[in-house]
Amino acid sequence: MRKDLVFGMAGSGGDGIVSAGDSLLQAAAAEGYHGVMTKSFGSQIRGGESSCRVRISTEPILNPGGNLDVAVALNWEDFLKFGAELPVSGTTVVIYEAATGIPENQIPLVGVTPLQVIAVPIAAMAKETAGTERAKNTVVLGLIAGWFGIGAVAVMKGIRKKLAKKGEELVEANQRAFDAGRAFAMEHPLKASMNVVASETKGQVKLITDGNDMCAAAAIFAGCQFFGGYPITPSTEIMQFFTDHVWKYGGSVLQAEDEIAGIGAAVGASFAGKKSMTATSGPGLSLKSEMMGLASIAELPLVIVDVQRGGPSTGLPTKTEQSDLFAACFSAHGDVIRPVLAPTSVADMFRITIEAFNIAEHYQTPVIVLSDQEIAARKETLDPIDTTQFKIINRLVPAGADLQDYKRFKQTDNHISPISHPGMIGGTYLASGIEHVESGAPTNSGSVHARMNDKRTKKFEPLKDRKDLFEVTGNPNAPIAMVAWGSIAGVCREALAMAQAEGLDVKLLVPYLLYPVAEGVYNDFFASVQKGLVIEQTHLAQTFKLLRMHIDLPKGLKPLARSGANPFLPSEIVAALKTLVSELQRSHEGNLQPQE
Amino acid sequence: MSATGTCEYQPKDYKSDLKPIWCPGCGDFSVVQGIYRALAAVGRPPHEIAFVSGIGCSSRIPGYTTAYGFNSVHGRSLPIAQGIKLANPDLLVLAAGGDGDGFSIGGGHIAHLIRRNMDITYIVMDNQIYGLTKGQLSPTSQKGRVTCTSRFGSLEEPVNPLLYVLAYGAGFVAQASPTDLVGMAATIEEAIRYPGFAFVNIQSPCVTYGEEAQQIKGLKAISETLASLGHNPADRLAAMDLAQHYGEKLHLGVFYRNPEPPPTYGDLVKERQVLLSKDALPKERILDLFIKK
Ligand SMILES: Cc1ncc(C[n+]2csc(CCOP(=O)(O)OP(=O)(O)O)c2C)c(N)n1
Ligand code: SF4
Repeated sequence: MRKDLVFGMAGSGGDGIVSAGDSLLQAAAAEGYHGVMTKSFGSQIRGGESSCRVRISTEPILNPGGNLDVAVALNWEDFLKFGAELPVSGTTVVIYEAATGIPENQIPLVGVTPLQVIAVPIAAMAKETAGTERAKNTVVLGLIAGWFGIGAVAVMKGIRKKLAKKGEELVEANQRAFDAGRAFAMEHPLKASMNVVASETKGQVKLITDGNDMCAAAAIFAGCQFFGGYPITPSTEIMQFFTDHVWKYGGSVLQAEDEIAGIGAAVGASFAGKKSMTATSGPGLSLKSEMMGLASIAELPLVIVDVQRGGPSTGLPTKTEQSDLFAACFSAHGDVIRPVLAPTSVADMFRITIEAFNIAEHYQTPVIVLSDQEIAARKETLDPIDTTQFKIINRLVPAGADLQDYKRFKQTDNHISPISHPGMIGGTYLASGIEHVESGAPTNSGSVHARMNDKRTKKFEPLKDRKDLFEVTGNPNAPIAMVAWGSIAGVCREALAMAQAEGLDVKLLVPYLLYPVAEGVYNDFFASVQKGLVIEQTHLAQTFKLLRMHIDLPKGLKPLARSGANPFLPSEIVAALKTLVSELQRSHEGNLQPQE
Repeated sequence: MSATGTCEYQPKDYKSDLKPIWCPGCGDFSVVQGIYRALAAVGRPPHEIAFVSGIGCSSRIPGYTTAYGFNSVHGRSLPIAQGIKLANPDLLVLAAGGDGDGFSIGGGHIAHLIRRNMDITYIVMDNQIYGLTKGQLSPTSQKGRVTCTSRFGSLEEPVNPLLYVLAYGAGFVAQASPTDLVGMAATIEEAIRYPGFAFVNIQSPCVTYGEEAQQIKGLKAISETLASLGHNPADRLAAMDLAQHYGEKLHLGVFYRNPEPPPTYGDLVKERQVLLSKDALPKERILDLFIKK
C-alpha cells in the first residue's frame, strides 16, 4: 500500500485529459486525500497537446512531486512533448493507448525501463461502451479506480453531477465507459499492488482551488473593492474571479484598454479611498512600471499581482519561471522600495494576499505579490481555513486636529502620514508624481527630495523585522542550507525531509518577503552555514544576486539556478545537497586544525 | 457655507494658495479662471471634487484649485480619473491636460472612456505644441509647422480633437477660447452638468513656443460662436461637419450634446451591484466557494 501517488497524463486537446485530472482530484478530495493538480499545455490555443499531473497523498502535499508513478499516454507524440514535465522512471507504471500500434517492448521512452507497461485499447473501449471516443477520459478514470483504488465511487458521482444537465443518456454512457475501464484493470492485475492507503479523513470537507482564484478571493476578503486589469496568461483568472464576485460586495472591476489604464484606474480608486488591485504577468508588469513609481511617490496603497511566466518579452507564456524578481524589485525609476511578497502554495496565497493588502495599507505603498504560473494554475485540495484569525489593516485616516492644517505627507516618527481621500472635509491636497513638500505642493528642492526619499524608504524598516514573513525548517544550526521561495520552496521542503531522512544535517529558509531584503534574518540564518544553495528557477540566479547585493554571503553559498519550464525535482536537490556534504567532509579532512 | 446649510460658492473658493508657474500671458491662466467660475456655478464643495491631470504645463492645473488634485504621469489622467469615479461615483471628477498628454501619449484612452460613458469632464488645453518640454511638435500642430523637432516643417497631418471624440460617440463635445471667459465658464459648467463623458477643447495659446496665429489676437480673428451660426447641438452630423474646420476656424460653444444621454458606466455598475448583492456570501465565508459538494 502507498501513501502517495503521482499520475501524469497527456493527450491531444480533445482527449479530455485536464477534465479527467479534475475529476480525479475531486474524487481524491471526497475520499479524504490531499491532492495537487497541475496542467500544462502546448502553445496552440485549441487542439494542441495538453497534459496534467495529479499527486494524491494521505499527507499534506508541498509540491507536484517528481517522477511519475503512473503515466498515461493517449498519444505518444503528445506525451513526449512534455518530456521533463512528465518524467518516467524505473518505478513507473505506464498505461497507453493500444491504438497507437506501438508494441509494449518498443514504447518510445529512451533510456528508461518502466516497472510495467500496459497497452489498453482505450479508444475502442470508449467507442464500444459509450458510443464515442470522447469517453476515453472516463475509461482512463475507470482504469485508475481499478488499479490504484482511487475514485471508485466518487469519480462517477462527480461525473453524474457535471453531466446531469445534459441528460441521463450521457451519464449512463459514461458509467459504462468507467465500468469497462475498471473491469479491464481487474482482469489485468499490476505486478505490484499500487493501491493507496485509505485516508482517515474521508468525508471531511476539503476546498479545491488554484492560486489565481485563491488570490482573488483573498483580496475580496481583505476588503479590496476595485480591480483594474488587462488579460494576460497566466493571470487572467484573477480578473475573471473579480468579475464574478466583486459586485456582490459593492466593488467593481474594469477590464481596461491596456495594462497602463488597468493600473491607472487602480491607482485612482486607491486615491479615492478604496483598497484596490491589479494583476498581470511579465509583459504587463513592464507596462505598469511608471504607475508603480507614481503610487510609490504619491504614497498610495496598491496591490499588484505578477503571475510570473517565462521571459523576457512574451517568452514562455504558459510555463513557469521566477525570473521577474529583479523587475518586481526594481522596475520603475528612481530611489524607491516596493515590498515584494511571494506565496509558496495555493494555501499560502490566501495569507500572502491579505498580507499584501495589509502592508500596502499600513505603509501606503504599492506591494507586489510575486506568484508564478505553477501556483496560479495548480489546483490543491485544502483543509478549511479559519478566516477569522486574519487581521485586516486599513490605512491611517486623519481625524480631528490632523485636519485643521492638513499635511498629506507630514513627517511623523514612523514616517507614515495620515491619508485623506476625496469627500473628506479638510483633507484636500494635491497628490502628485512630482516631488512635493509635506502639504503636497510641488517642489524642485533637492533637500526636500532627499528628505522625502528618506521618509519613503525608512518607513519600510520595521518590515524587515517581521519574523513571521520567513520560515526556517530543519536544524537551525545546520552547516548546510537551502534558500528558496515561491513554488520552488515547496520542492525544497520535500527535499529537506528526504535529506533529513538520509541523515543529512540541513536547513531551509523560505522568505515570504523578498524585498526589501531583511539583512538581519539572513545573517542569523547564515551564521551556522558553511555550504548552501539558493535554489531558484531563473537563468541569471537573480535571487542569489539580490541577496549578495545586500549581504555578505557565506563563501560556500552557491546558486542552483535554471530557467523554466521544468521545476526542480526533490531528488535532484537532495543529490546536490549530498555533493555539498561530501565537499564539506573533504575540506574538514584536509584541515588538521580542529574546527571551533 | 451659509447659516441655513445651503452652499454658495464663489470662484475664489476654488482658488488654491499655490501660485501658478506658467509664463506670463500663457492661455492656461484664463482656463483656470474659467474652471473656478464653472465650479462656483455648479456649486459642489471643493472636497467633493477630484481633479486629475497628466504631465505638461497645462497639467499643473489641479494644484491651482482647492479640490482634491492628482497631478499624475504623462498621458494617464483619464485612467486614473475613471478609477476615482468607479471607487466613488458621488464625486465630481474632472480631468485635464495638454494636447500632447491627451492625444499623443494618452490618445488610446479617450475612445474607451467614451465607450464606457464615464461621467467625467475632460478639458484639453490645446496649444498645439509641447510647452513643458520646450517646444516640440504636438499631435495638433499644423502640417508644415517648424518646431525644434521639425526644423524643416512637420510632415504629419494634425489630429482633429473634436472629430476624434465625436467619431467615438462622445455625448458632449464643446470648444472654448480664452478670449471669451464668460462663454468658456458657461461651456465648462454645461460639460460638468452633462451626465456622462464630456469633452471641452480649449485653445490655450503658448506664448513662449506658440506661433503668432495662436496668440490671443489671432484667436479673436478666427473665433465664431456656434450659437451665432444657429447650430443645433443635438445634431451630431452637423457637429461633425463644423468640426472639420478645426485649425482654420475657432468655433466656440457646444458642438454636440446628446439629447437623450444613455446611462453612465457608473449607473450600470450600481445596477449590477444591487442586482448581485443578494448573492454575497459573508466575507468570512468566501472560501466556501471552493467547496465541491
Ligand atoms: C512617459 C513620459 N514621456 C515623456 C515625458 C516628457 N513630457 C512631459 S510633458 C510633455 C508634453 C507636454 O505637452 P502637452 O501635453 O501638450 O502639454 P503642455 O506642456 O503643452 O501644456 C512631455 C513629452 C514624460 N514626462 N513622461
Ligand atoms: S511654455 Fe507655453 S504652455 Fe507652458 S507655461 Fe509657458 S506659455 Fe504656457
